[in-house]
Order: sequence, then C-alpha cells, then structure tokens
Amino acid sequence: MNTTTIRDRKIDRKFTGCLMGGCLLLLPMAVHASSQTPTIKLFPTTVLEEIKHTGNVAAEMETGLQTVIARLDEQQQLYVQSKCEGNEGDPGCEQIARQMGKSYLEMLTIMGDKLPEMETAVNSTSASLEKRIRRELGQKKTSWTLQELLAGAQLEGTDKADRPALRGRSGMRLSDRFHQYYKLVARSGGEVNSSLAVIASDIYLDMQETSSLIARTREEISRATLMEQLNQSFGTITPEMQEVVAGVKSILFGEEEPLMPMTAPPASQPEQAYDSPLNL
Amino acid sequence: MNTSITSSVTATVALAAMATLLTACNSNPTRATACSLPQGPDLNRAIAAARFDLETGCEQQFDQYFQRLLTIAEGDPKKDNKSAFSDFLIWANEQGLLSKRQARETYTRYFGVKYVSLISDYSVCDQTCPRRAEVMREMNKELVDKEQGLLKVSADRREFYRANRLFQETELVLEATCEACGSIE
Repeated sequence: MNTTTIRDRKIDRKFTGCLMGGCLLLLPMAVHASSQTPTIKLFPTTVLEEIKHTGNVAAEMETGLQTVIARLDEQQQLYVQSKCEGNEGDPGCEQIARQMGKSYLEMLTIMGDKLPEMETAVNSTSASLEKRIRRELGQKKTSWTLQELLAGAQLEGTDKADRPALRGRSGMRLSDRFHQYYKLVARSGGEVNSSLAVIASDIYLDMQETSSLIARTREEISRATLMEQLNQSFGTITPEMQEVVAGVKSILFGEEEPLMPMTAPPASQPEQAYDSPLNL
Repeated sequence: MNTSITSSVTATVALAAMATLLTACNSNPTRATACSLPQGPDLNRAIAAARFDLETGCEQQFDQYFQRLLTIAEGDPKKDNKSAFSDFLIWANEQGLLSKRQARETYTRYFGVKYVSLISDYSVCDQTCPRRAEVMREMNKELVDKEQGLLKVSADRREFYRANRLFQETELVLEATCEACGSIE
C-alpha cells in the first residue's frame, strides 16, 4: 500500500522551510505544554532565541533581495521587449545586458553577505535541537513510549482542526509564512508535547538540509560571481544566470506547486469507539 | 481337530479386531478431513465453526482460521466486527490457543491504532535506531493489516486515518531522533 511520506519535499524548499519552521517555536507557550502530561523540554529559551535570530536574518535577506530581484525582472522585460535575444551585438542591448549583470552581481553580493550569518544561526539552532531531541526522545523514550506520546497527541487533538502540518508551505511569500507561523503559535498555547515532538523533528531535519544547502550555495556564489565579472566584459546574459535568479525568486516568493497529498480525516462526527480489553 | 479349532479362534479374533478398528474410525474421524476452514458469509456462524474445530484438534491451524474469519468479515464490514474478533481472541486465550500477550498483539495489529512493531524495552537510540529500516518495514506491513482490520473489516475510517497519521509522524520523528542519536543506518 502506498503511504504519503511526510518528508517528501524538494530540497530547494528546505532552505526557506527551516527558516519558517523556526518561527513556529516563537511559541514559548507550547514549551510549557499541558499540565497533565510530563513536559518534554525540546524548546528551551535558548533555542527559541536562536530560532528568532535565524528568522530575523532571513527576513533581512528577503528585504534586501526583493528590491534587486524586482529590478532584474524589469531589466529582463526590457531586454525581451527590445528584441535583444539573438541581437546581442546591438549597443543598446549590450547596455541592458550589462545592467542586468550588475544587478545579478548585487544579488550575489547580498546573498554572500547574509549567508554566513545565516549559516551560523542555522547550525547553532540545529545543534541545540539535536541535543534536545537526542536526550528527550532518543534516550528517555523507547519506541513504544514515543509512539504513545504521538498517539496521545492525536487523541487530544481530535477535535482541533489545526494539528501541525509542516508540509506544502511553498507557494507563499517568506513573510507570509512567518505570519502563518505566528498564527499557529497563537493557537497552540498549551499545545501538547507530542505535537512539539513532530514540530521539533521537522525543523531539525530541515535545518540539517538547509545547513548543507547554504554551504553549497556559498561555494556556488563564489563561482558565479567570478563568471559574471568575466561576462561583464562581454555583456551577455547566460541561461545559468537566469536560472539562479529564478531559484532565488522561488525561495523568496514561493513556488506554484500542488500541496502534498495527505490523507484527510473522515468528515463524519466521531462516535463512541469500541474499546477492546485486548487493545494495547 | 485341534488345528481346526485354533484356526477358527484366530479368525474370530481377527474379525473382532477389525470390527473394533472400524468402529473406532467411525467415532473419531481423522482431523485431516475435519479441519476445513469455515465457509459462507455469516461471521458469527463462521466463528462458531472455527471455535469447534480449534478446540477439537485443529489448533495448529489457528492462523489460517483467523485469516479466513477476517476474509469472511470483509464481506460485511461494520464496527461491531471489532468486538466479535475481540471476543474470539479472548476465547482463544482462555482455551490456551494463544497467550494473553499474543491475543493482545494480534488484536492491536489488526484493530488498534498503535503499532506492535514498535514494542521495545530499551531506548530509541540504543534499540530502535540501529534497526530503523527494519522497524519501518514491519510498521508498513502492519499498516496493511490495519487497513484490513480497521477499514475492510470494521469500516472505521477515522481510526485508520489515525493509524496512518501515526505511521507518518513516527517515521518523521524516528528519522530526526536517529539522526540526533548519531546512529543512522
């Protein structure tokens, strides 16, 4: 039988996914969870602060890149409208191409400036979460008690329509995602520990992948910057350059992709379930 | 004369022995022909027939009988079927066909939300992570059994949804936890 895999996402969404996921934790509340169940200390204040910092860095990068990308869009439009494709020798087209190249370099510079700080923040948050997950879920739980924790959350969340679903958040602006997280946080005051286990796992894995993606991106930026500096001499627009811009736009503004198919709970009202004395 | 008498006595004894053997065969039919899996669409009748066979020498085929009952129940899926199977497993335990633990695990495997594949005594880092792939394969098989028990037999979509969701969340949390434990396979 086929089952939907929670972590079935594209890597290019990881970058933003983790940043967003971070904010989820701005819910100091959930950390203290419900009074009936033992508290799982997955999100101490230090982790929250790290996540907040990571989110701020991401927001700064978004603001900085938005202007440059808007300018690149305009220049690209002008290039096409001027029928410059296939007419690269034209002095006017060369000028537009050089302007685009400059904007492109500016975009790479902003990313190059912000990424180290973001990499540090992501790695620090990832390390803190790793330590917490290892201790609270890996060492204090057996697979059976871990399952009981997750199943318990399902029961407690039966009547709540907002169990955390950290998938399919692409297709929206970065800032909107943050806003959505805040809303989720506001609703999850007193949320159960088990949901936090899922949230922490999702964020941690996202951050792991994000960290490696940032490292690869930084290497790529160095190479792309050198190439574009060379291209400035000739005033050409490379397909690679257009691809990089498109990639950055997808990070900032989201992609139009269908949401992950997830099985949905039946619409019918819950009935009094049969409870066998044999049920574990 | 003596020889004739001896022959007659021998023949009589032989006949008597054969008659006795035949009588014995008639009163105790061989189990090979008696252990026939229940037929027909009526679950209660099938359970009654299965009980009779299982307490009269067919206990070795308990699994086959249980599977046949599930198949018969699929013909008339309803939530009441859960209690029918629960009663059947309790009876099997009382008859000594299953231990209490086996009865519980069998019921939970088909009709419970939780996964018996996750039963363990030691920490996730120590016991589960070193064999996470195997655990997930077992859970996947169990999810198929829950599909049969919860959906096809009991028509309980809500509980099956919960089981499916639990599978997904467990997979995610185990992946993260094992990564954190540093024992990814």
